[in-house]
Formats: sequence, C-alpha cells, structure tokens
Amino acid sequence: MDISKAPNPRKLQLCRTYLMTGFAFLPFVWAINVCWFFDEAFRKPPYPEQSQIKRYVIYSAIGTLLWLIALTTWIIIFQTNRADWGATADYMSFIIPLGSP
Amino acid sequence: MDAHVSASTSSPATVAVAGEDENLSGEAERLERPPRRQKQQRNNYGSNADSPDGAVLTVPSVVIRDSTARPSRLSGGGVGGGGDGAPGPSQQEIEEEQGLKYGAQHVIKLFVPVSLCMLVVVATINSISFYNSTDVYLLYTPFHELSPEPSVKLWNALANSLILMSVVVLMTILLIVLYKKRCYRVIHGWLILSSFMLLFIFTYLYLEELLRAYNIPMDYPTAVLIMWNFGVAGMMAIHWQAPLRLQQGYLIFVAALMALVFIKYLPEWTAWAVLAAISIWDLIAVLSPRGPLRILVETAQERNEQIFPALIYSSTVLYTYMGTHYTPEQPLPTTTSSPSSSNSTTTTRATQNSLASPDPGAGASSSSRSGNSRHGQRQQENNQAAAEGMPLVSFKNNLHGNAEAAGFTQEWSANLSDRVARRQIEVQTTQSGNGRRSNEYRTVTTPNQPQMEAQEERGIKLGLGDFIFYSVLVGKASSYGDWTTTIACFVAILIGLCLTLLLLAIWRKALPALPISITFGLIFCFATSAVVKPFMEKLSAKQVFI
Repeated sequence: MDISKAPNPRKLQLCRTYLMTGFAFLPFVWAINVCWFFDEAFRKPPYPEQSQIKRYVIYSAIGTLLWLIALTTWIIIFQTNRADWGATADYMSFIIPLGSP
Repeated sequence: MDAHVSASTSSPATVAVAGEDENLSGEAERLERPPRRQKQQRNNYGSNADSPDGAVLTVPSVVIRDSTARPSRLSGGGVGGGGDGAPGPSQQEIEEEQGLKYGAQHVIKLFVPVSLCMLVVVATINSISFYNSTDVYLLYTPFHELSPEPSVKLWNALANSLILMSVVVLMTILLIVLYKKRCYRVIHGWLILSSFMLLFIFTYLYLEELLRAYNIPMDYPTAVLIMWNFGVAGMMAIHWQAPLRLQQGYLIFVAALMALVFIKYLPEWTAWAVLAAISIWDLIAVLSPRGPLRILVETAQERNEQIFPALIYSSTVLYTYMGTHYTPEQPLPTTTSSPSSSNSTTTTRATQNSLASPDPGAGASSSSRSGNSRHGQRQQENNQAAAEGMPLVSFKNNLHGNAEAAGFTQEWSANLSDRVARRQIEVQTTQSGNGRRSNEYRTVTTPNQPQMEAQEERGIKLGLGDFIFYSVLVGKASSYGDWTTTIACFVAILIGLCLTLLLLAIWRKALPALPISITFGLIFCFATSAVVKPFMEKLSAKQVFI
C-alpha cells in the first residue's frame, strides 16, 4: 500500500504493529518498517503522530542493526570453528559445502 | 444518484444550469435511451456484468450510471448529463486518448514483473539442476511417460492433462460455490494455507537447493531464522499490509516458485499438454456466458467486492486503496451496491481521506463550501465508482488458482489454488468507469481532484496464474538448454501479452491472458527448436556469419 496516502493515525498504528511484530525474532520486519516509514518519520512536514513514528523507526533500526551484527558474528564464529567443534557442528549444519577443506 | 442530481443543480456550476434549458429535449431522449441500450446489451452478452463496460464504451457519459442498474441513477444521471451535454463527446475522446496513453504505460509496467518472474525461473532452471529432472510425480499425473514410444507418451500426456484439467475444473467450481455461499472464511483459510505452504515449505526446498548449487555453507539456526523472517514477512505482505513493492516482489517470487514446482514435477509431454489445455480452459472459463470465472467476476461485481488480494498482481496501488478503505471498518466490503446506505458513506469518507491526502486543501475546501451533504455524496460516488471497478479485476484469478491446484498432490493442491487463482488480466473497467465519472464531476463541480484520483487508480491487474504458466512455458523451453528457443518463447509471450492488453483496451472487459500468449509461445517454441535452431546451426557450421 502507499503509505503516504494513509491517514496519520493509521500510519502510526501500522508502524507500531510492525515494531511489535518484529520482537518475535523478526528483524526483517523491522527492516521493512525502517524503509517504509523513513520518509514519514524524517522527511515529511511535521504532524502530531510524527514524533512517535520517528521513535518507532529508530527503535526498529537499532533492532535491525543488533540482529545483523549478532547474526554475522554467529555465522563467522560457527563457520570458522565448524571443523573444530566436530559432530555437534556437523549436526547443526544445514548445508555442508563440498570440496572445501 | 440522488447525489449527482443535487450536485449538479445546487452547485455553483453555471454550465450545468445553462445546459439544462437548452438540452431539455435531449435529456428526455437520453433518459429513455439508456435502459433500452442496456437491454440490448444484456441480450448480447447474456449477462449483467458486461453491460456496464459495454455501456461505458458506447454510450455518453451520463448513461454509465444508469448501466449500474440503480434505479435512482436514471433520473440523476439524466440531469447531470444535460449539464455536460455539449462537452460530452470531446471528453470521451480525451478519455480514450488518456486510456491509450496510460494503457501503454501499464503494458510496460506489466512487462517488468512478468519478465522478472520468467527471469527467476530461467535462472533457477539453468543454475539448479534439481528443478531440471523429474523423479517424483504429482498425484494427478499417474502416467509417467516412461515408455520410449512417442505414441504411448502422447497418450500418457493427454490422459494426465485430462485428469489435471478435470481437477482444475472441480476446484474452480468448488471455489465458485464457496464464493456464492459467501464462505469467505473458508476461502481465505484456503488461500492462507496455500500461501503458507509456498512461503515456508517450498521456499525451504528452494533455499536448500540454492545453497547446495552454489556450495554455500549454512547452519540450521541461521536457516531457520531466515525462513521464519522471510515467511512471516511474506504472509504479512500478501495477506495484510506492506509496501507495494514488497508485496509485488513476494507475489512474483511465489509465482516463480509455483512455476518451478510445475516444471519439476510434471512429466515432459504432460507439461506441454497442460499448457495447451489450461489456456483453452482459460478461454472458456472467462468468455463463455456460463463460464465459472465469469460467474465469479459477475458475483463479485454485484457485491462490489474486491477479491482475495493475495491472488493478483496489480501494477498500481489501486487495490491497496481498497484494502485500506475496508480494513478499518469491517472485513467484508462495506460499500454495497445500494447507493444511499449509511454504511457506504462512512466508508467512503475514510477512503476519501486517504485518497485526497496528497492535496489536502482541495477536497475539504470545495466540499465545505457547498455543504457537507454534497461532500458526502460525492465521496460516496467516488467510492462506488472505485468499488465497482475493483471487483472485476480480482475475480478472475480465483478460478485459475483452483485449476492449478489440481496439478498438485493433495497437500499442495490446497496451497496452489490460492496462488494460481489470480489469473486473468483485469483491466480496469474501473478505470474507464472512474475516469468518466470523474470527468463528469469535473465539469459539474470541482475541477482537479477527482481527475487525480482517477489517474491514480488506473492500473492493470494480472492474475498470478498467468505469471505461473508464462514462466512454466519459458522455463520448460530453457530446460532444454537452448537459448534461442528460450528467448523466442519470451518474446512470443510478451507479444501475446501486448495483444491481450490491446484487446483489453478495445473491449474493456476482463479477458483471459493465457490463450494468446501461450499459443504464440508454443508455436514459437516448437518452431524455433525444430526449424530455426537447426537452420542456425547449419549456418554457423558453414560459417555464413563470418
């Protein structure tokens, strides 16, 4: 939907719902929230709901970043140590690359 | 259309008053004419659903309202028509010009997603060998074409496609019955289940094969997190509200996934036979007077509903508007066809707000001048116009979804049907209706605002089923590893789509999008692989190109 055409309370409600949904291990939803409401929060002329939307967008952005960092670290740690961890790591592997050491 | 009467008479538009005196006799004639025309059209098409579209084309703008079969519209429309009497025809021309202009834009807007979908399928087929070989078969194709004899293969393919098609027909009829009985929950549950399976199960398989093909390591926690995020966001985008781009992306992906599943699990000859059969079925279901898809569209039109947003790709925000407008109120469409129900006015207001927000001053100021009642009425009008237009688009898709579902094993079938269902291109009957209506408004009341809305609401919808079968054709062609054939099919399908859209602009009613494209695609595919490719090989072997 085109968010710029929606009434302001609706925007706020949507933004809030997206933020809340994101807490269910859904950083992607937070990322969507950030992209979707960024213009609303920072580039539109001010309106009453904007400050709240801004806050939600910032929270979502922080959450997305945290998840991104956490996931990247986990993947790096896991992949570098997979061979050392032995059977447990193999058991946790979705795809084990073929042909690489 | 009381709304319209009051608008034209009470409003400051002097044009309307002046015109009325001169055109009194003309009005009378027009008043009588519309019903007659309508009757004729009904006879011609054998159904009410078409009459609005037909009326839009042939009859001056006033009559359009009459064609919606609301009793009050006759008188109201007549008066309004008197108002714009003189400018009528020229406006119509302008409308047509605009229609062509926007039509061209929309053709391009549809080309991009269709091409993207085919691109995903072709790229997958060429990079992931998993989708290239058939080892497991669907329940609906009991004959596996294992014999080397062409005659046996042909017989197997025909039998398979017959079984598949009968399943499709059954599913379609089931869907219509459910829709007729207003079992919306069942249908929505069905759709949600199918999209759930596609977004989680098939995507999981796809991810696994993708990672395996590119030899990318991944651990289970990450994979589960990715699947969970992707699936939930997809469900939100398809069945709830999300940015339009995201929704379009998900719909394209889901269609591509479905096409891959068909390519993977259908035996080779059966796939071709099914393509031919489904396009014939599409033709029958949409165009024949008792065709199930047509019944669906008509029913939806009668109820002024938008159907199952999950099944249709729309090139504009149009149906999202509708979505926003009905979500706050009630799940069912509140705007009923009765013009003056209190319900509809309220909903309209909500919609109007969203619609008018780009230029907030215009709507409010103009309406406040001439009084709230007029404002409300106008809104109502707009809403109705929008609502009328919308339903057409969405309906057709459903049928196909069912049909496609037939192709799968039972588990899949449920899922599939949802996706597949959206097939036909729905044009904007809405557009034409809206545009005209807004024009009338323009002459009578406020100039710009309605026009803008009309423009915004223009857009073409294509059922996901069409995406799927286009992609099946191109993917199947590319699975032989011949790029000449693949590109020939791609071009043929796009040409067919162009022709369909052209016909759409001419007839302004919902058309099946498969027959022309698939016929072209099949002809080009076999002609290229049988004639052009050997010829090219000969040429390059003899070094003619050098």
